[in-house]
Amino acid sequence: MNIVKINVTVYGRYKNIAGNQTIQLDITDGNTLRDVIDVFVKQYPMTKKDKSRMIVTKNKMYSSYDTMITEEDEVSIAPPVVSGG
Amino acid sequence: MTKDRYRRQALVRELGQNGQDMLATKHVVVIGGGGLGSNSANLMVRMGIGSIDIIDYDSVELSNLHRTSVFSEEDLGKSKALVLQEKLQKVNMNVRAKAINQRVTSENIRAFVSDADVIIDGTDSVPLRLLINEESIRHNIPWVYAGVYETVGMVMGILPKNTPCFQCITQNIPKSTMKEIPVLGSLPATIASIQCNEAIKILLGRHPKGLIIYDVWNQCFDSMNIQRNPSCITCGRK
Repeated sequence: MNIVKINVTVYGRYKNIAGNQTIQLDITDGNTLRDVIDVFVKQYPMTKKDKSRMIVTKNKMYSSYDTMITEEDEVSIAPPVVSGG
Repeated sequence: MTKDRYRRQALVRELGQNGQDMLATKHVVVIGGGGLGSNSANLMVRMGIGSIDIIDYDSVELSNLHRTSVFSEEDLGKSKALVLQEKLQKVNMNVRAKAINQRVTSENIRAFVSDADVIIDGTDSVPLRLLINEESIRHNIPWVYAGVYETVGMVMGILPKNTPCFQCITQNIPKSTMKEIPVLGSLPATIASIQCNEAIKILLGRHPKGLIIYDVWNQCFDSMNIQRNPSCITCGRK
């Protein structure tokens, strides 16, 4: 099995949930940001309700969930944009 | 008397008297006069902005009062914009405060923001923010996004063609179907303060940096570095 190790920086409440600002996720299935999110949510189920709306960046650039990633990429995940006023 | 009013603020190294004088020449447009907009307008007037337009079509409701420090029970049923103009003008007669009791649309937004030095987001909807964003990018007008939800607030200063725009960070977001957004009463004032800090920095020539996230309950305060998305449909390099 091919394991891709991705370094992920998390923000907001995800930092408390993960216990650290920087975590490493082992991606065993796939190579897109969606796969990273899948593993993140599985590892930290409290984030599940945000799954389709998280702010995700690859190398500091906001990216779609279908964006391909490699071990060299820097991924960041933050809770969804809030819209109340 | 004017100098005495701002004496303590002008002592701030980053502003000085020159910065304070510069603020007095600036025009700010606040779109939305609810929890965020009313608190932001209040702060901008107190800090000595030159002129401020406050745009809101709604009236003050009882359910607004828990999250604003400007409205009171005697204002219920009155136009938010007009109440803000009246009250804030009394706070600082040196500032020109103007109420615009209209709904912002794609047809009229240009007329409202064309002479703004910065637009302050006091809205509560993503579509209206995207409209502000498009207008900002099209006519090179900086704006400061702010939003709240439950115990989380976010702020991002947007400098067209320099920083990511609102579209850059919202491309995956499905349309919200929520009618009433839950908000901790003290949060909009906190987030409005951060929003005004970013606005003041922009007005004094400082570039904003990334998305600020404040989570009250989890005691997290973060600044997320996000860069412009070259393929952004609104601000992307074409």
